[in-house]
Amino acid sequence: MPKLTIDGKTIEVAKGTTLLEAAQQLGVYIPRYCYHPRLSVSGNCRMCLVEVEKAPKLVTACSTEAAEGMTVRTDSEKVKAARKDVLEFLLINHPLDCPICDQAGECGLQDYYMEYSLKKSRFSREDKVRRGKRRPLGPNLVLDNERCILCTRCVRFCAEVTKTSELEVMERADHSFIDLKEGKALDNGYTLNIADICPVGAWTSRDFRFKQRVWFLKKTPTVCLGCATGCQIEAHHNDNTIYRIMPRPNAETNTWLCDQGRMTYKAVQAGDRLSKGVIRNGVIDLEPALREAATRIDAAHSAAAVAVLGSPWLSVEDNAALARLAKDAIKTESFCFDLAAEQGIKDGILINKDAAPNTAGVALVKAAHGGISLGELASRLASGKIKVLVTEARAAAFLKPVLASAKPLLIVFATNRAQIPPEAYATLAYASYFETPGTFVNYQGLRRTTEPAVNAREGVKPLWTLVSKLAAYSGASLKLDSPEDALKGIDFK
Amino acid sequence: MPFLTDEFKEKAARLCAKYPRKDAALIPLLLELQKEKGFVAEDAMDALAKFLELPYARVKGVVTFYTMFNREPVGKYHLQVCRNISCHMAGAPDILAHLKGKLGIAEGETTRDGLFTLSTVECLGACGAAPVMQVNDDYFESLTVEKLNTVLDDLKHGRLRARGL
Repeated sequence: MPKLTIDGKTIEVAKGTTLLEAAQQLGVYIPRYCYHPRLSVSGNCRMCLVEVEKAPKLVTACSTEAAEGMTVRTDSEKVKAARKDVLEFLLINHPLDCPICDQAGECGLQDYYMEYSLKKSRFSREDKVRRGKRRPLGPNLVLDNERCILCTRCVRFCAEVTKTSELEVMERADHSFIDLKEGKALDNGYTLNIADICPVGAWTSRDFRFKQRVWFLKKTPTVCLGCATGCQIEAHHNDNTIYRIMPRPNAETNTWLCDQGRMTYKAVQAGDRLSKGVIRNGVIDLEPALREAATRIDAAHSAAAVAVLGSPWLSVEDNAALARLAKDAIKTESFCFDLAAEQGIKDGILINKDAAPNTAGVALVKAAHGGISLGELASRLASGKIKVLVTEARAAAFLKPVLASAKPLLIVFATNRAQIPPEAYATLAYASYFETPGTFVNYQGLRRTTEPAVNAREGVKPLWTLVSKLAAYSGASLKLDSPEDALKGIDFK
Repeated sequence: MPFLTDEFKEKAARLCAKYPRKDAALIPLLLELQKEKGFVAEDAMDALAKFLELPYARVKGVVTFYTMFNREPVGKYHLQVCRNISCHMAGAPDILAHLKGKLGIAEGETTRDGLFTLSTVECLGACGAAPVMQVNDDYFESLTVEKLNTVLDDLKHGRLRARGL
């Protein structure tokens, strides 16, 4: 356990800790470009140079291991001068096109220049080396080689995280640049992380480019519902519109985020977003649609003729509300929250075998409220005893073969038109989990709650309130006034 | 892999065996490929990457880093003028300008008669005798414009040979 002094403060760190990490533990920030906590150390940007007593030259903090008795200075005149020089060097060929650069506002060059340099360059603008600008490389990224400082974070990301090794530094010296095989697309499913870790504006997201200046964005911490992994994310939004999804690195689940997960926000503001009810193909207001659905449930005459199916795409609250609807309002025994699916990381990085986000959460609802198995529900449907089925739009697919033959009256909840199964009779629009809080349990059994980033369109309500109304139309009160009410009786352990 | 002959593969296996790791033979094998054809073609890089189980980008990165690898066919005499600091200060820009004017070609081009290809390279490690030009595998040191004229004439008329290629 080496003990060392950084800027006069003494700290004892584990063996193998670098100076940069030791400084971080002390709360001393050392500027860096090429260093990334989850990538191998490269030591090429020279931004993290610090002074170590008795060392003949400044050393890179990212690659120097802390040793017993070291005395490190990160604020000496020598270090400050070195930072200025490194920045001047990195900016020699930088195009300074910040006014049209998407990175502006979250750019390492801008930030460090203001913080550590403010020095006038001695190199003329006319002599800058020109390189390729705005080349779309793959479905998600644009590469601007002129802005690149060759920190190789992207190269190391592709080599070490996705292990696809598409990128490499080509050529040499001042004409070197990042490139991949000619004609090949950069599409490894995790490419947008490259735009995140790029400290400058060299890699930018094709989806986000020119949509919004980053300083206008508000950030809401929430959870990705793209699969059962349940990555922690941050929704960036402004004026009630979501512009991008970024990972919120955490020790339990994720540092990165897959490209698919980043696009989940699109459904929230898609053209086919539902804000009302749909009866067959006709759009009607939500209230009459709810009334129609309630009438149909009542018209099934006996409670046994109505079935309710939970959904792994819905929160624990909404599933629990559906269970309450079946048990306490409709009073049917034919309700099912038995939706097991194989869980686990599929690709060795983040994408889960289970494409639904809340299979584990549905299991908790089953534990609390019981219900029949999916097979039993299918056979009850097949026997023709069940006349009405209430479920979430995507969950209807679990019963697809039997729905086609038994043809029950299908009442579904959906957020987007594309989700509605062809067999649906009535569809009720509900607020998505970017608009309303919801509890989800990921494949590791970790409980996570989404936080609303934007407001739902007028009249669009959380699913549990629709369930509550549906019960009220049938003459029963579920006493659901808040999402917490629905969680009563659920044991999260 | 049509770009790697059986003969090459045999040689490659022998070369790889010399190193603790197979991919360490990348540079010797690239030189071998260059010896066969005079340059390293894109397809050859691809084939070699597969042969050494390396990502293509790695091979391409190495080929483009070293100026000793030609990516296109070159003329009979490959004139490589050092562009680094010692040579620069000792007059390399004049040497380069003179060559461009005399041969009527730009950097990276080959004369019509296929005799000369002109390129600039990084430090040749002969700073003590700057400015330096490498022709194929031979060095011509402490160059002046007069000396350069003689060398070019001698090469053109076969009075001087440059090793390699």
